[in-house]
Amino acid sequence: MQTRKFDRYASILFALLGATFLIESRNISKSAYGSEVGPNVFPFLLGLILILLSVKLFLESFKNIQKEIKNKETIQIKRFVIILTASLLYAGFIETLGYVLSTFLFLFISFQAMERGSWIKNGIIALAFSFFVYYLFVVVLEGSLPGMPIWFS
Amino acid sequence: MGVMDFLMQGFQTAIQPQNLFFAFIGVLIGTAVGVLPGIGPMSGVALLIPVTATFTSGMDPSAAATSSIILLAGVYYGAMYGGSTTSILLNTPGESSSVVTTLDGYQMARQGRAGAALSIAAIGSFFAGIVSIIGLVLLAEPLSEVALKFGPAEYFSLMLLGLAAVSGLAGGSITKAWMMTVTGLLIATIGIDAVSGVARFTYDIPVLFGGLEFLTVAVGLFALGEVFKTVLHKEEDAEKVAKVGRVISSKADLKESAGPIARGSFLGFFIGVLPGAGATLASFFSYIAEKKISKNPDKFGKGAIAGVAAPESANNAASGGAMIPLLTLGIPGSGTTAILMGALIMYNVQPGPLLFSDHPDVAWGLIASMFIGNLMLLLLNMPLVKVFAKIIETPAKYLLPIIIAISVFGVYAVQVTTFDLFLLIGFGLAGYLLAQNDYPIAPLVLGLVLGPMIENNMRRALTTSNGDFMVFIQQPISAFFLVCAVLWILIPFVLRLRGKEVVVNVEG
Repeated sequence: MQTRKFDRYASILFALLGATFLIESRNISKSAYGSEVGPNVFPFLLGLILILLSVKLFLESFKNIQKEIKNKETIQIKRFVIILTASLLYAGFIETLGYVLSTFLFLFISFQAMERGSWIKNGIIALAFSFFVYYLFVVVLEGSLPGMPIWFS
Repeated sequence: MGVMDFLMQGFQTAIQPQNLFFAFIGVLIGTAVGVLPGIGPMSGVALLIPVTATFTSGMDPSAAATSSIILLAGVYYGAMYGGSTTSILLNTPGESSSVVTTLDGYQMARQGRAGAALSIAAIGSFFAGIVSIIGLVLLAEPLSEVALKFGPAEYFSLMLLGLAAVSGLAGGSITKAWMMTVTGLLIATIGIDAVSGVARFTYDIPVLFGGLEFLTVAVGLFALGEVFKTVLHKEEDAEKVAKVGRVISSKADLKESAGPIARGSFLGFFIGVLPGAGATLASFFSYIAEKKISKNPDKFGKGAIAGVAAPESANNAASGGAMIPLLTLGIPGSGTTAILMGALIMYNVQPGPLLFSDHPDVAWGLIASMFIGNLMLLLLNMPLVKVFAKIIETPAKYLLPIIIAISVFGVYAVQVTTFDLFLLIGFGLAGYLLAQNDYPIAPLVLGLVLGPMIENNMRRALTTSNGDFMVFIQQPISAFFLVCAVLWILIPFVLRLRGKEVVVNVEG
């Protein structure tokens, strides 16, 4: 994506973010016990500044003809999408599937997505990592991580 | 008690077995982080905060804070050692502060003098590390005593100066840097307001009451952002690693490098103390300086040993120097120190002038451990550099998913909510997109860490002045800081208008 185009969209997004904080800060109570300046002032000012900066960036993105010498790289979108999806599923299912199982699945899928390789070798590394972390954290350090799902054990 | 007594007490803390162990692990991981391209000191430190938090969970808070900060600081200065290895052997800097080392280091390696280059880098780093710690010991007390006299107005202005310095030097576009800073400050306002107890921007969602956790944001932006970038852009490339040879310095090399190492150390230290200017700038400046002083500047770029010794000393000295404003004033001057500060705050240890009186064990234990850590690094790096050079060959296909897994583990172990995991991935995506389009990330993290303190000091100052904003200008010290902040923004701006090229910090 071209940086200038990105800047234009980003400036709109940041302006919206600033506006959200600006408007929402008016719903915060203005007075505060023991403080002359209420809790609404700081976010209000910051929201205002962010909007002004976004406007500045928006204008700059037109006049500033930046040197776009970024040589065309091959973007590996496929493996990125797989890994991102796997990460999201990992985050979503870590509590239902338990730490060891979800980590193993995530690592195994990601290893394969990065580079198709030997199932056994990848599987062993993924399994070793998830068991090692679980053992170290739960058994040695007595921390708490979601264990195996009930139907599994 | 004098400085020496405190330092001796610090050594007593630092040589406790668990702290020695933590320092060792820190410098070991730090070296690895420095060697691995793609993980810089910032993401390395961010990634390790949750891991250390879980390791120290059984200790009492103060000891836990000491041990963690010893480990995390070890990662920080260890990375400065490790960064030189890839610069010399591969011509790819492990992190941005070693970029200039590639110029002469790789040439030396091609001439078969890789071992000489690596050993002089290690010796220079060690000397610089010691110089900067001595500077830290000497400056810490007096500086924090001055800072104790500051009121809220002075603090507010000083923090603004810190933000201005980092934003002003953070990258190509100052507008973008400031937007990142303000966004960080805004994100910091989410949650319960510490002064009035009013919930802000929480919309009755329970997980938002505590605010967005600094840890999640930092790990997402730095570690995951870099992973996503490498996943998308990295092609499998088998680079040739230069042969290391014998890692030993000849007398002639040492003699030739003594001057550059000494100059690099002092220059690097003072650049490191300045907020905003970090290790990258320090190594850059010291290289230029050596080239100017040198009798035969033509040799630079063709394998001059001074071209390795000076910048490697400077970046190490700068990382030590950067600890000074963090520990004495509570103002982090760079992205990495901002993350260290966030880690200290997680342990309820507030960096700043009171650190030396409230938590002397943390402050002096850290300083003493830096002596020990640097010694460990020297011992580690001279004989083991070949082992570390092997780390370069770690296949990315295993490394990247494991970094994601460590991030998820760390955040979940500390926060125990899946909300933070989704937040982590979201900030990872944002970090990738922002960094890819030249939005510097360090100012955002700095804003997030400093946000609550800036706001509290501003409101306290305004309360004493009955809401009169003039209070920041009427106090002379506060006014001085504000003038400095304005100059920091204006001078590069004016220079740019006059067509001069301004050196900016790549990493922050």
